[in-house]
Amino acid sequence: MQQRDNQNRLSQEYTNRVLLNGTLSTPRWWYPLVSVLLFFVVIGFILFGIQIKYGLGVTGLNRPVYWGLYITTFVFWVGISHAGIMISAILRITQAEWRRPVTRAAEILTIFSLLTALVFPLIHAGRTWRIVYWLMPYDAARGIWPNIRSPLFMDPIAISTYLTGSTLFLFVALIPDLAVLRDRTTGFRKGFYTILALGWRGNPRQWKMQVVGGILLSALMLPIFVSVHSIVSWDFAVTTAVEGWHSTIFAPYFVIGAVHSGVSAVVTMMALMRWGWGWNDFIRPEHFDALARLLTVVATAWLGFTFLELLFALYGLDAPEIALREMQIFQYPWNMLFLTFLLTGYIIPVPMWLFKRVRTNIALMFWSSILVNIGMWLERFLIIVPGLARKSPFVFTWEAYSPSWFEWYVLFWSFCWVILLMLLFSRVFPLVPLFEQKESEVFSDSIKIGRATVPTIFREEEEEEED
Amino acid sequence: MSKSILGLFLDPNHAADAMDGLKESGFERGTFDVLTGTPYPEGAFGEYVPQHRLFRFPAFGAIIGFTVSLFLTTATQLAYPLITGGKPILSIFAMLIIMYEMTMLSAVIFSVIGIIFESRLPNIKPGIYDPRITEGYIGVVITVDDSDLDKAQKVIEKSGSEEIKVV
Amino acid sequence: MSTNAHHKEWPPSDPKIVKEELLASTKKGSSNLKKISKIMGILSVLGLVGLIGKFFIDGGDQTQWGYIAAILAFIFSVTGGAPMVAIAPFIARANWARPISRMAHVIGASALIVNIIIMIPLLWVLPPLVVEGARRRSIWFEAPVYSPHFWDTLSLIMLAIAGIGLLYVSALPDFAIMRDNAEGFRKKIGTFLAGGFVGSTVQWSTLRMRVGIMSTLYFFIYIFVHVVISIDFSLSMVPGWRDAIYPMAHAMGGIQGGVALVIILAWIMRKYGNYENYLNINVFWALGRLMFATSLMWIYFFYSAFIVFWYGKSMSDNAWLDLLIRGPMVYVFILGMLFSFIFPWWWLIWNKVRNSITGPVIGAFIALTGVFFERIRIYVPAWSVDPKLIHDKWLSVIPGTLYPDIWDILVLLGSISFVILTVIFLSRLIPFIGVWEVQQFNLLAKPVKYIKAHGIRVAKPD
Repeated sequence: MQQRDNQNRLSQEYTNRVLLNGTLSTPRWWYPLVSVLLFFVVIGFILFGIQIKYGLGVTGLNRPVYWGLYITTFVFWVGISHAGIMISAILRITQAEWRRPVTRAAEILTIFSLLTALVFPLIHAGRTWRIVYWLMPYDAARGIWPNIRSPLFMDPIAISTYLTGSTLFLFVALIPDLAVLRDRTTGFRKGFYTILALGWRGNPRQWKMQVVGGILLSALMLPIFVSVHSIVSWDFAVTTAVEGWHSTIFAPYFVIGAVHSGVSAVVTMMALMRWGWGWNDFIRPEHFDALARLLTVVATAWLGFTFLELLFALYGLDAPEIALREMQIFQYPWNMLFLTFLLTGYIIPVPMWLFKRVRTNIALMFWSSILVNIGMWLERFLIIVPGLARKSPFVFTWEAYSPSWFEWYVLFWSFCWVILLMLLFSRVFPLVPLFEQKESEVFSDSIKIGRATVPTIFREEEEEEED
Repeated sequence: MSKSILGLFLDPNHAADAMDGLKESGFERGTFDVLTGTPYPEGAFGEYVPQHRLFRFPAFGAIIGFTVSLFLTTATQLAYPLITGGKPILSIFAMLIIMYEMTMLSAVIFSVIGIIFESRLPNIKPGIYDPRITEGYIGVVITVDDSDLDKAQKVIEKSGSEEIKVV
Repeated sequence: MSTNAHHKEWPPSDPKIVKEELLASTKKGSSNLKKISKIMGILSVLGLVGLIGKFFIDGGDQTQWGYIAAILAFIFSVTGGAPMVAIAPFIARANWARPISRMAHVIGASALIVNIIIMIPLLWVLPPLVVEGARRRSIWFEAPVYSPHFWDTLSLIMLAIAGIGLLYVSALPDFAIMRDNAEGFRKKIGTFLAGGFVGSTVQWSTLRMRVGIMSTLYFFIYIFVHVVISIDFSLSMVPGWRDAIYPMAHAMGGIQGGVALVIILAWIMRKYGNYENYLNINVFWALGRLMFATSLMWIYFFYSAFIVFWYGKSMSDNAWLDLLIRGPMVYVFILGMLFSFIFPWWWLIWNKVRNSITGPVIGAFIALTGVFFERIRIYVPAWSVDPKLIHDKWLSVIPGTLYPDIWDILVLLGSISFVILTVIFLSRLIPFIGVWEVQQFNLLAKPVKYIKAHGIRVAKPD
C-alpha cells in the first residue's frame, strides 16, 4: 500500500509500519543503550542495599535538614508525572488535534515517573521495612503510632490513585493498538497481544466507547491530577515548624510548576522519539510549536505564583522568614542556586519560545526543555532545604546541607530507571497511539478558500447523551 | 445453521453502500455490522449503535468509593483515638481528602469496567475477522442463515468489495 | 449553498443576511427595554444618593464601609472577568466563543464609571499605611505617602482602559460595517471609530495581532488589579492575615462571575433578540462546561487556603478561621459555599443540564449569587476590624456581625443598575454579536456530511 492516499493522507498501513518499527523490530541503538542504563540501574540497587546496611549516614542528611535530595527528587518526579494527564486529558477534552502523537508517551512518562516517585519515600525512610508498620500499625506495646491525619499519610493514597487511574487509562486507550499488534505478530507474541486485546474487533460500539470513555476518564482524571500535587504540597504547607513552608499558595504553585516541568519533559521525550525512531511524519515541528506556546502560558503563570509566594513571604514582616529569604536570594551558595533556578526555569527558555523559529526548531526545544527541568528541580530543592537548614531558632543547630555522592547517584539512577522503563515499554507497546494518528487522517481534509489551500478537520455533531 | 460473511472494502463509501444494501434487503439491524481499524464519525456507515449506559458506572463507583472511604477513615480514627495537633478525633477535613481520592479512584475503576463491558469485551469468540482491517480495510460483517447466504453475498459484491470471506 | 438547513440552529451562510440581522441588534428593542432603562436610571441615581448619604453619615468610620468595599470588589471582579471568556478561546483559536466574545468585551468595558465612583469615598475612608509612625503589613514595602490609594486607583483606571481598548480593537471591523451600512448617529460613530479600516490583508493580519496583544495585556492587568485591590482593601486590614493564595482566589471568583454574566447576557440576546441561530446550543454547552470548571476551581482555591490554616492552628490561623468562617460570617460562608460550589456543581454535573439553554443560565445566576456572598464574607469583616488592632501580630478581637444599612442596599442596587444601563446603552451603539466574527466563522466552518454522518468541517488556517 502507498504511503499517502490521493488526498495526501498517510495510509493506515504506512502508519502501522512506521510507528511499530520500535515494537516489531529493534532499532540498532536500543540494545547498547538499554545495557548501559541497566548497568547504572543495577549499581543503584546495590547502593540501596548498602544504604540499608549502613543506614542514612551515607547521605548528607543530618539535624536539622532531615529532608534533602530524596524528598526533592520525590516531589520532582511527582511533578513530571503531571504531564500525562495535562496532555492526554485536557487536550482531549478541548479537542486539540496536536495532542495525538504525544498522548501515550506522556501517559507512560506519568506512570513510570509516579512509580519512581513512590520508590523515593522508601529509600528516604532508611529502614525501609518500617514503612510496613506505618501502613499497617498493629496493636503492640511499641507506643509509636502513625499520624493518620498527616498529609504524609494522604500522599501514598493520592499517588496510588493517580497511578492506578493513569495505568487503567493507558490500558483502555491501548486496546485498539493491541489489536493491531495481534494482527501483525505470530507465535507467543500473538498470543500475548490477543489476550490483552480482549477480542477487539473495531465495530462502531467499541469505537464509540473508546471516544466517550476517553473523555469520561479524562474528566475523572483531571481532578485527581490537580489533587495529587496539591496533597504533596501540603506535606510542607500545613506545618508551621519550618520557615517558608506555611503558605496557602503551595497547592496551585506546585501544580502549575508540575505542569511546567512535566510538559517540558514531554518535549524532551518527543524530540528523542523523533530522532530515535525516525517518526518525522508523525512528530512534526508544529507539535513542538503548540507545546511551546502552552509552556509559555504555563511558565508565565508559574512565575506569577512564584512572585506571589515571595511577596507574601516578605509581607508578614516576620523576621525569621525575611532572614530566610535573604539567605536564599543573597547568600552563597543559595544565591547561585536561586539565580540558576530563575535563569533555567524561566528567563532563558521562555523568551526563546516567543519566537516561532525557536518553537519549530526541535534541537532548541529539546535543550530548552532540559533547562526547564534543571530549574524546576532546583525550585523544589530551594523550597525544601533552606527552610530546614534554619528550622529552629537556636543558631547552634543550624547546619549547611551538603548532599553526598550517594544521593547524587540516586538522583542519576532515577533518570536512568525511568528511561530504561520507557525503552522496555517501547519494545512491547507502541509509543505513539496508532488509532489516534489514523483518526486524525480520517478526519482531516483540505479546502480551497480563494487560492489558498486550508487544512480542515471534521467535527462530529454532539448528540444527546444519557446522564 | 448460520454463517458469517465478511466483505472487505477499501473505499468507505462502498462499505456504506453495502450497509445500506443489507438494510434495504430486509436483514435485521443487529445481524450486520462494520469493522474498522480507526474510528470513523458516528453514523458514517449508517450503522446502528444502541444507547450506552456508560455514565452509570462512574456514578455507582463514586458511591461505593465514598462509602468505603468514609467507613475506612472513620474506623481508623476511632481505632487509634489519638489527638494530633489539637484536632478532633474525627477530623472531617483530613478525612475529606482521603475520601475524595478514594471516591475518584473507585469512579475511575468502575468507569474502566464500564468501558470494557459496554464495548462487549472481553470477546472470547470474536467471530469472523481479517487482520487487514487494521491496515485500512473496512469490513462489513453479517451473520445469516444458509438460505440468505447468497442474497447477502450478492449485496456485498454489488457494493464493490475487494474480497469476501465466508465462515 | 451549504447544508445549513440540516442544523436546527446555525448562522445563515449569506454574509449579507448575517450583517443585516446582527446590525439590527442595535435598533431592536421593545418598549420594555425603554422601561427597563428608565428603572435602571432611577436606581442608579438612588445608588449615587446612597453613596453620598453613606459618606456624610459614616464618612469617618471605616468599620461601616465593608459592604461598599464588597460591592466594589464584586462589580469590578465579575465585569472585569467577563473578557476572559473571550480571551482564552481566542488564544486557543476556538470557534465556539465567536458569538459571545463581543458581549464579553462589552461587559468588561461597562463598569468603568461605577468602579471609579464607588472607589472615591472608599479611598477617603481607607486607612493610610503608616499609622502612629508604624507601617502596617502591606505589599507596598516602602509605603510612600501615595500608596496604596494611588496604585489602586491607577489599577482600576488601567483595567478600564484595557477593557475599552480590547473592545475597540476587536470591534474595529464592525465599526467599518456600521460606517458602510448604518444610518444616522450610528453611521457617524462607525465612521469615527472605524479609522480607515477597509479590510485589506495587512489590516486583517494586524487586527489579529492587535487583539492578541490587547488580550494578553488585559489578562495581566486584570490579575494585577485583583492582586492590589484584594490585598489593599481586605487582606492588609486584618492583622496577621497572611494568605498568598487569596489574590488568585479572588481573581478566580471574578472569572466565575464573568462567565456567569456572559451566559446571562447571551441568554437575554437569544431570547429577546431572537438570535437562536447565532447563540445556539453549542455556545451554551461550552459555557456550561466553563461554569462547571470555575465552580470546581472555587472549591480548590478555598480548600487550599482552608486546609493550611486548619492544620496550622497558630494564633493567626485560628483568627482567620474565626473571622471568615465560623465567626460573624458563618451564615454568609454557608451561603457562599452553597452558591459558589455545591449548587452549581451539582446542577451542572449532569450532561442534560449542560447540554441545554436554560441549564447553564440557572447555573450562572446561582454562581453570580455565590460570588456576591463570597465578597461580603471577606470584605465586611475585614473592614469591621478595629483599626486600633492593625499592628498586632494576630487578630485577637473578632468583630461582631455587621448588617447592611439602607445606604448599602441603595448603593448595591444602584451600582448593578448602572452597569446594566451601560450595557443597554452600548447595545444601541455596537452589535452585540460580532458581525465579522460570525462571517469569518461561516468561511471556516460548514455543516457537511462525512459519508452518512453529519458534522461540521472546520478549517484551520493557522
